[in-house]
Amino acid sequence: MVFNSLGFIVFFAVILVLYYGPFLGWVNKKRMLLFSSYVFYGLWNPPLIILLWISTMVDWIAGNKIYHETKPNRRKFWLWVSMVVNLGFLAFFKYGNFLLENFISFVNLAGFSYEPLPMNIILPMGISFYTFQTMSYTIDVYQRKLEPARTFLDFALYVTFFPQLVAGPIVRAGDLITQFYEEKKATVDLFIWGLFLLTLGLFEKIVMADTMFSGAADAVFNADKNLNFWDAWAGVLAFSAQIFFDFAGYSTCAIGISYMLGFTLTDNFLYPYGSIGFSEFWRRWHISLSSWLRDYLYIPLGGNRFGLTRMYVALMLTMLLGGLWHGAAWTFVFWGFLHGTYLIIERILKGRFRFEINWWNGLLLAGLTFILVNFTWVFFRAEDFGTAWNIITAMVTGFGEGEKVLGYFDLTKVFVLSGILFLTHYYMRHHTVRMVTSSAGPWITGIAWATMVFLICISHGQGEQFIYFQF
Amino acid sequence: MSRTDTPLHLQKTLWITILFSLISVVSWEFFWRSRGRIPDLPDDKFLWAQTRAKVENPDASSVVIIGSSRTLFNLQIPEWQKMTGVKPIQLSTAGGNPIPVLEDIIEHTNYAGTLIVGVTPGIFFSKISKDSRSWSRTQKRIDFYHKRTYADRLNHFLSIPLQNNLAFLTASENEWADDIDLKSLLRATKWGVRTGKENDPPFNSFQYLDIDRNTRMSNRCAHDTAFANTVKRVWQSHNKKAKKSPKDEAVLYVSNLVKKFKDRGGNIVFLRSPSTGFYKEQEAKNQPREEFWDVLLEKTGVKGYHYDDYESLKNFDCPEWSHLSGEDADKFTNAFVTLLLKDNVLPQPQNH
Repeated sequence: MVFNSLGFIVFFAVILVLYYGPFLGWVNKKRMLLFSSYVFYGLWNPPLIILLWISTMVDWIAGNKIYHETKPNRRKFWLWVSMVVNLGFLAFFKYGNFLLENFISFVNLAGFSYEPLPMNIILPMGISFYTFQTMSYTIDVYQRKLEPARTFLDFALYVTFFPQLVAGPIVRAGDLITQFYEEKKATVDLFIWGLFLLTLGLFEKIVMADTMFSGAADAVFNADKNLNFWDAWAGVLAFSAQIFFDFAGYSTCAIGISYMLGFTLTDNFLYPYGSIGFSEFWRRWHISLSSWLRDYLYIPLGGNRFGLTRMYVALMLTMLLGGLWHGAAWTFVFWGFLHGTYLIIERILKGRFRFEINWWNGLLLAGLTFILVNFTWVFFRAEDFGTAWNIITAMVTGFGEGEKVLGYFDLTKVFVLSGILFLTHYYMRHHTVRMVTSSAGPWITGIAWATMVFLICISHGQGEQFIYFQF
Repeated sequence: MSRTDTPLHLQKTLWITILFSLISVVSWEFFWRSRGRIPDLPDDKFLWAQTRAKVENPDASSVVIIGSSRTLFNLQIPEWQKMTGVKPIQLSTAGGNPIPVLEDIIEHTNYAGTLIVGVTPGIFFSKISKDSRSWSRTQKRIDFYHKRTYADRLNHFLSIPLQNNLAFLTASENEWADDIDLKSLLRATKWGVRTGKENDPPFNSFQYLDIDRNTRMSNRCAHDTAFANTVKRVWQSHNKKAKKSPKDEAVLYVSNLVKKFKDRGGNIVFLRSPSTGFYKEQEAKNQPREEFWDVLLEKTGVKGYHYDDYESLKNFDCPEWSHLSGEDADKFTNAFVTLLLKDNVLPQPQNH
């Protein structure tokens, strides 16, 4: 089920009635939320709930064993059990086809003819998110940073909590499980604020991502032609905006829905396109993933504790695996490589050039960062390296040449809205939505909110999936 | 987006939002109704899949119609039901080749009732290629049917009453030039000529559809010559590069399928609906009857009804060269079903 659907409106309305009605005690409310979360997931593909159950059972048992065991080898054994099961699921369901394709290419290259039947593996929705979430639980328990969940119900609800189940934020156990221990109820103001964020998230997804930007991005990336400079840039800018609004929209919905139930989820996006440099970009883009990779990959790989070279290697490996996390294709790995390279170059330059950042040079550097980020999105969106290379070539050298696939209105729309997006992110670096709405007052906020509702109603797409579901 | 304790007067804000949301949405609905728009169901993959599901549990007297837009427009379900007592399952797809549906029904169901296969020559006899526009148009719907989730079904079920009552929710996956969802309104905005596509004639919707996928030509298209001419310009634009179809390719492909269907007791009939003007000329040139239609009937051994062969089926006028008006579609259906009953292709109705 997706948030931008009529089914979800009915589903969530029923949950709210049961949650705030006088029918259930706290434990039964949690059971109801757990059951609803399975329904939320199962309406997509019921049998794949079994994977969720296995992941939940294994990590529940492993977490308890790790916590109560005193022998280091046994603790390590249970940690390995958790890692093997979770990463095994990922390896099989997400990377099975990719590994097989690469194996075939390698064997054929070596001169052997090998043509196995395609595996046709279904990618379970959100598997990358919930496996990372449950792994963080066992690792934190192993490192004695966290006590196991008090009850199986609390743990199962942590793994399955429907607002963030399929596309994050990847919530740490310490931030969410403890919220289940005592009864939660949103105040009227928190409930309304959650509703506002839910509307904002839907507006980002339905109006901005699907209506304003997806058409231009699709037209350019599916063109299969040598493109004109302006079309290539418009397509890439459109995709930059589309993926931000799509993913940030989902996170905003998830946070809003959680508020309406009285829970708090961590922020996942903080105006990333206003970032000055790539370190800052990764502190603002998909924060729950980048902090996960930092804590469970970059730091265990040595982080910055063993000198510059080791740090650069750790950084690059983290970004390469981060790229692979997004999708089973070499284009995603290359996307990670580009970001790793940017981060390393930035650290080298920061060591050599030191100057004070003010509003104007900050704007210039943020603009440069935004432009360079756009180049990475080409590899993220393109089906293959050939398409990516065609677009990059057009972005650099295609002035006055190449096919024109977008009309003047579409070009203007993309450039103007992308410009507004960039400037808004730059302005919002030091602000929050709450600060802005607070200073705007109820009339302006109310009219802006109503405008979003109106635009959502007249856009009324067909419940397009969120891009990040495929990850 | 962090939670702070700054007072926001959120309750007042919510009331203002509700008020302005209602005013704007209601105004938008009235605006489009004042422009002559009425609530209409879109002919989309969701409704097609819902209809396709009916083929899984048919009764012995079932009739399934597959074809392109001509069988969609020209065979009227209420008229058919009135004459035979059987409500046919309409699976035709505008601009879509029916062969993938034929294959899907034969390979993936046990259906052994009556299949009415519409033959629009330019589409039916086109090159057998899964990448072709007409093939993929149908195949996408078939794939969606087999992959649709329970969430898809629930969303579609909930959308029906809204689409049946609100004119502004009219939108289609056909991407008509006069669709009124925000994306379509933006798509229809043109500033000068840059890609060349801006010169393509606008393709406006010229039909209405109901929950059974019964489709009728709009009165505007049937009676307003200027509007019908806009559709004619689209047909000319779409077919300006039309060339002669490959011989035997589709016939061979279909023959194998038909044999399998007949072997399990299925009853199959081909129907060639009327065309006039530009289309009639194009079809005579690119898919001459003796090389295509006659060969199809001969190789498959299937009964076929060509409008030119029957007094009751000929002499219909197509307002935009390809489809019949609602009134004529009723008459055409009546004449066609009468022939089927007379030829014992369909069982005689019990209580009619």
